[in-house]
Amino acid sequence: MKAWLEAYSIVDFISVGLLLTAVTLNAFKSIESYVKAYTINSWLLACLVAAVAVLMDEPHLYVAALLTLATKGVLIPLFLRKIVRQMRITHIIHPAISNALSLALSSLLVAVVYASLKTGITVTGFSRNVLQIAIAVILISLFIMITRKKALVMVMGLLFMENGLFLAGFSLTFGMPTIIELGVLFDVLMGVIILGIFVVQIRRTFATADLDKLTVLKG
Amino acid sequence: MRSETTNVTTILLIPIVTAMVCYVVKSPRLIGYANLVGIVALAAYAAPIIAGAVSTPISAGNGALFMDAFSAYIMGLMILYSLAAAVYSIGYLENELAAGLIDFRGMRRYYGLFHVFVFTMLLVSMANNLALMWIGMEATTIVSALLIGLGFRKRPLAVEAAWKYIVLCTVGITFALLGTFITYYASTAVMGTEGALNWTMLKGIAPKLNPETMKLAFIFVLVGYGTKAGLAPVHNWLPDAQGEAPSPISALLPGWTAFYAIMRFVSIVTPSTGEAFTGNLLIIFGLISVGIAAIFILVQNNFKRLLAYSSVEHMGIIILGVGIGGPVGLYGALLHVLSNTFAKPLMFFASGKIQARFGSTSISNVNGVLSTMPLLGTLTFIGALALSGTPPFNIFLSEFTILKAAVDKGLWIVVGIFLFFIALVFYGVLSAFGKMLFGAPAAMDAASTARWQASRFGMSNMLGNLVMIAMASAIIVTGVRVPEFIDETIRTCVLVLGVK
Repeated sequence: MKAWLEAYSIVDFISVGLLLTAVTLNAFKSIESYVKAYTINSWLLACLVAAVAVLMDEPHLYVAALLTLATKGVLIPLFLRKIVRQMRITHIIHPAISNALSLALSSLLVAVVYASLKTGITVTGFSRNVLQIAIAVILISLFIMITRKKALVMVMGLLFMENGLFLAGFSLTFGMPTIIELGVLFDVLMGVIILGIFVVQIRRTFATADLDKLTVLKG
Repeated sequence: MRSETTNVTTILLIPIVTAMVCYVVKSPRLIGYANLVGIVALAAYAAPIIAGAVSTPISAGNGALFMDAFSAYIMGLMILYSLAAAVYSIGYLENELAAGLIDFRGMRRYYGLFHVFVFTMLLVSMANNLALMWIGMEATTIVSALLIGLGFRKRPLAVEAAWKYIVLCTVGITFALLGTFITYYASTAVMGTEGALNWTMLKGIAPKLNPETMKLAFIFVLVGYGTKAGLAPVHNWLPDAQGEAPSPISALLPGWTAFYAIMRFVSIVTPSTGEAFTGNLLIIFGLISVGIAAIFILVQNNFKRLLAYSSVEHMGIIILGVGIGGPVGLYGALLHVLSNTFAKPLMFFASGKIQARFGSTSISNVNGVLSTMPLLGTLTFIGALALSGTPPFNIFLSEFTILKAAVDKGLWIVVGIFLFFIALVFYGVLSAFGKMLFGAPAAMDAASTARWQASRFGMSNMLGNLVMIAMASAIIVTGVRVPEFIDETIRTCVLVLGVK
């Protein structure tokens, strides 16, 4: 198993999968597809942690993999689905820029990350590509948040960002101590629930979940 | 170092128990008193422990929690402003309840969340582990977002403010976690995984950490926690949140949690990268904050938002002081933290009352506060003079100390820019509050005046008024001369943070 994982550089493969699922956000038009992409992304992340656990022979990483799967892969997607159903709106996202341009800019971001991190910190672990991919995922998510104006897309962007962050964390540290992992996951979960509550509130108060309408506070 | 697990964990338990009690109590009057008893018990219990930790560091829970002079100092200030806000909340919430802005359930939720918020702040100031501190910080964001958005059915703008707050701060704090990961990476390279995120261990090996890696980590941490601290240009959530939140909550935002985290990072990054790197970054962030805040203060027509920009300005001044560095600069910065602990909440408390009396947060709608409400007017006047940096109040003293540090180091450009912007702030704050305090009082209709006199938030709000008077006196006393024990504490903090 270990030799097989190393021979085919499975970790790199999974990380690229994570990047690709983030890139697909540029093309999707509905919130439901975002939730699906997020679910796949989280499952890939859990697989990655499990693969690292096999490679490193670290039992506590199996726990981390299971926790990731349970919260990010199951609980959060279920909750998001519930919110989407509850909102009962047409879940079409109207990006501020066209999908093609959005895709082009995202790939530009990936290129910039690769170019600028080539000489930065060199990760001594098993893969040199994971940190770049992680930061690319974070930046793409930020980019998605900036260019889409739906409240739920903001939440999705944040979640993708956090997945990218976890990826960075694993590539840099091979997993934090389990208790820390647990605390961070708990915070993420609570954060999503609170954000969900606010999304529903925004919809109720302003009769829209379009953030374009939230422009009273400025200056 | 002493180990005092029971004492330290009890400090954390008191707010949790208080929160639970507040949540089950059935009467509006009782809930206020439960809150009061809880916060006073916390302050009374924590005071001797904090005083002890200043001279001898305490560790607890197998090294997971830790208190040295700096965490004790910040924690003491946190408890101080939480105490003030909790006492002030009683009158504030009774008034909101009477005005129908919240219902009893909302009130119960307010007090419950308030004490959970206190718990999360204390956790941040005690965590010995970088990641545990991050967890506490994210928890403060989540809890305070709920507090800002409280009573949202009647206040749609609060939803908008809370939304902006939680989204921006979560993004920011994600970057801070990335910075924490990178720090972990750097420290495992030096000492292996055991205790690689503990302050106490990191401090010892700080000079050996890889400078390039630490530079990257510090940039992420500064942007991340800087968002939470309300530093420009990532301060956008703060005016909205402080402008729309209930006044006692505005007084607690952004608090010293994020500043505390930045300081801890500065103290381990500086030995690795050298003083120039962190110093310059902090000076730039500080000056941008003061500058942007000054401009927005000048054009502001909402007094709560004006105060929020003033918090951005003061956070900028504190960071500037840290950036200028040296014992004098850091001393000035820490003194400025103390000054703000009194002045900023006082002003938010006063603005809460003015808002309740005039039913508006617009500067142009408020006139002649001093003649219609002499006590409130006087307190607001003292607070405004202090915030604008007028001698002999305490903010003048700390700003002057920071300025002196800059002059000593020969940073003349910094001195020039800083003086220019605080002169703008001086004019902006005093002209706005001068207009509100003096001038002919507008004719108030008799019904609202009668309602105000009858309400427990007006003159008869003994506890609230008492707290505000105490804070105003503290501003004057610490402005004339820094008391011996505070001076001693700040000096120890400067040593703890490794500045010689």
